[in-house]
Amino acid sequence: MPAGEVILDVRDLSVSLEGSAAGQRLLEGVSFKLEAGEILGIIGEAGAGKTVLARTLVNGLSEPLRVSGGQVVYRSRDLIALPRKELARIRGNEIGYIGANPTGSLDPTVSIGQQILEKLRAVQPDLSKAEARERVLEVLAAVRIPAPATRFHEYPFQFSGGMMQRVMIVDALVTNPTFLVADNITQSLDVTVAAQIIRLIRELRERFSTAIVFISSSLPMVCDIADEILVMQGGRIAEKATPEAITGRPKHAYTQSLLERLPRIWGPEIEAPRTTTASDLLRVVDVAKTYRVRRKGSFAAYNDVQAVRGVSLTVGEGENFGIVGESGCGKSTLTRLLAGLEAPDRGKIEFQGKDLGSLKGSALVEMRRSFQLLLQDPYGSLPARMAVGRIIAEPLLIHRTCPKKEIRERVLAAMAEVGLDPALENQLTVGLSAGQRQRVSIARALVLEPKLLILDETLSALDPVEQSKLLELFARLQRDHGFTYIFISHDMALVRKVCHRIAVMYLGRVVELAANQSLFENPGHPYSRALLSAVPTLDDHPFKTRDHLLEGEPPSPVDIPRGCTFRSRCPIAVEACGETDPETVPWSSDSMVACHLAGAAGLGGPGDPGVRHEGESHAQSA
Amino acid sequence: MFILGFLCRRLFQGIVIIFLVTFLIFTLLRVVPGDPARLIVGGMAPDEVVAEKAKELGLHDPIPLQFVRYLGDLVQGDLGNSFIRPKSGASFGGSAYDDPTRGERAEVLGLIVDHLPLTLQLAALAILFSLLISLPLGIAGGLNPGRWQDRLAFFSGSIFVSVPNFWLGIVLSLLFSVKLGWLPSIGYKGFIYTVLPALVLAIEVAPFVIRTLTVSLAQVMQEEFIAIAPIRGLSRWRIVMAHALRNASVPVMNLFGIQLGTLLGGVLVVEYIFDYPGLGLLTINAVLQRDFPLIQGIAICISAIFVIINIIVDLAATAVDPRLEY
Ligand code: SF4
Repeated sequence: MPAGEVILDVRDLSVSLEGSAAGQRLLEGVSFKLEAGEILGIIGEAGAGKTVLARTLVNGLSEPLRVSGGQVVYRSRDLIALPRKELARIRGNEIGYIGANPTGSLDPTVSIGQQILEKLRAVQPDLSKAEARERVLEVLAAVRIPAPATRFHEYPFQFSGGMMQRVMIVDALVTNPTFLVADNITQSLDVTVAAQIIRLIRELRERFSTAIVFISSSLPMVCDIADEILVMQGGRIAEKATPEAITGRPKHAYTQSLLERLPRIWGPEIEAPRTTTASDLLRVVDVAKTYRVRRKGSFAAYNDVQAVRGVSLTVGEGENFGIVGESGCGKSTLTRLLAGLEAPDRGKIEFQGKDLGSLKGSALVEMRRSFQLLLQDPYGSLPARMAVGRIIAEPLLIHRTCPKKEIRERVLAAMAEVGLDPALENQLTVGLSAGQRQRVSIARALVLEPKLLILDETLSALDPVEQSKLLELFARLQRDHGFTYIFISHDMALVRKVCHRIAVMYLGRVVELAANQSLFENPGHPYSRALLSAVPTLDDHPFKTRDHLLEGEPPSPVDIPRGCTFRSRCPIAVEACGETDPETVPWSSDSMVACHLAGAAGLGGPGDPGVRHEGESHAQSA
Repeated sequence: MFILGFLCRRLFQGIVIIFLVTFLIFTLLRVVPGDPARLIVGGMAPDEVVAEKAKELGLHDPIPLQFVRYLGDLVQGDLGNSFIRPKSGASFGGSAYDDPTRGERAEVLGLIVDHLPLTLQLAALAILFSLLISLPLGIAGGLNPGRWQDRLAFFSGSIFVSVPNFWLGIVLSLLFSVKLGWLPSIGYKGFIYTVLPALVLAIEVAPFVIRTLTVSLAQVMQEEFIAIAPIRGLSRWRIVMAHALRNASVPVMNLFGIQLGTLLGGVLVVEYIFDYPGLGLLTINAVLQRDFPLIQGIAICISAIFVIINIIVDLAATAVDPRLEY
């Protein structure tokens, strides 16, 4: 196919919500062209109409959405007006589609290989069964799914999110489509996995010469991958330009505001938050937690899932402490231990010098009040049939620490503090926005006058504006009450902005514990570098994905390999790594690293050619 | 490997359940009023004969001892002899057994073996009929939630559920046997006699199947993988047949395991109405006659059926949905 051929021509496309009185428009007058082999990025915030557009491009809208005008012309045929029969010959065959939710995209009761095979044979009936199988296996190998012949027979639930997204990429590419719609395909994935997927898409595009419509809400990611970018706002195209033009000289005011709101991570003007803390508030000494789970398909065999394996850390009074890591790293289990919801199997947790494990009865209840857990989803944790004022009063009623008469006063004071309108006191939570609901749960924690707030992904569901407002609130509360915060998050930008010290977790251990500046500028552990390299940002990135990103996924917490647990993916592993688990040693003045090579000569950080070369040869032999 | 472990565990559980049922029934029967020895020898017999019979049967021994003795016989496959039923009278009865003191009464095992197949035949036909009724209604309802097909499924289900089975049995036999003369309805002289009772049973079970199928299919149709499937290139026919129904069938299978009790209760009534000589009729008579060994035997047999059917249902559900492997 000659380069420059226009394969998709979208003309004046509009989509409206049927049945709504005003015929509400979700897309309005969208026009663009896609050339063969091109990657077109589409960026915009939630509600900008990106997903609607993605679905419309494959004529996959379902009620009550309807195309109310315009055309989607694919090689001189309008997909919207095409009869069902003819559409079936094109869609799924010449046009691929990958969605945001890989784990829900295939039938959970049929093996993935079988389903891809089914699809391939449905759209290319001339292919023999053996040929089709061959082709599926080939593409499974191309996306670097390990042991494709075995995994062919496995079911969707046996795949991690990242692996499942690879499967969906296979599903889309197996027919060798002319163009591909990738709708927010990294949304549900961890940063390093998302970065792997992006790298893969770029590779595959060369190999399959597929044109791609790449939709995402992450501007840095789109800038990274796309040849050209459409900025969408409220169902319209605000601006169309190259990535360089978008980041360098944005024309549209909306694009400018997008850029301004982008969190900064690296740069000379970035100042890491610092604290001077006197006393320790929370001391965690070598805690571990193992869960016993019955092994699948067995009679009486159990697996020991080692969720947390010996974590030690101290959190100072008035400090913002961050815990980062990817799914399965044990941070949620650690949260439960810190919040006192579960007791550790080993080790101890001291709060203000008192061992939580030794406290009983009222002393424990008393202690519990001093640390409060705030969850990600305030909606699920707030009772639906209770008025806001009552919800906030609830902890006071339970703990009975406050005379009845004063309760209402305290509730109103707390509401005022978190910025909730006192008029909301007698309303239910149904009509509240996500930010307001989060405020309700903060107020509920506040009335008990805690010392430590544990924020478990508390801000990740909120949009950036709401997020920064709450951060301001947290800062103010800290000034007024001397609160200490523990932020558990996967969002490196957030952690960079607010945390004084940060623990990086991998497979149940803290592999690096460092002050903000040290971690982001001079990380000691190869995993920290990989994590940082995967963070999408427009800033001048000191850790290039090309150099530091890892392949593969963490081993299962059931069979933890001997030696350093990071060895299977470590680019610089040496022989000793396979023998002994590294101790945590000081790396710089304010950081600790669990790595044999920490402090050893040669581990020079980014760009040390000798080290990298050794790493690559190791990766190939592994 | 999984299958083996699974079977071992479930069979073991099953044996425990059967043991508990046996123990419960056994104890209950010993404490209810009524003297079995008197029943056997007849109302006119002198007291000494009754006492002698009671001693022969070991009825004066402590209940735990009696139970142990019963279990001992049970593991050898001997369920005892009926108190009431003469061997000669039950011409369909038992294998040859030439112990002169016991031979005069029918063996429980023989009685069950004779009646069980008829009931199984009835149940199988009833399930077939209920599927014939509920599959079209349920699938149409599940694929068109909120539309007339959904309402049709709902209404027919509501009607079926509110029809009492004894009334339906009488009406159907009046209609098909008396008026039209198409189907026989009383007793059993051949396969055709199973049709009417099976129909009544089917209508009793169908509403549950219709409801479950409609709801679970409608739910599956909302899933992401169904919505995505046409975009991936699958035809509507394949999506419904190969994927939606497959996923929706698991709750329906589980339903059969759960609703087995309803089915058995229905069997009792229906067999009684149609004078259908199956296990249900045998049970009713045994209860009316206080035929303790027979009641016990039937209870054990039914609990065994429960256990086996539930194992089969779970195996089938796991075969369809491997996530259930636990
Ligand atoms: S100890 Fe070895 S394997 Fe582990 S992180 Fe350090 S270099 Fe890599």
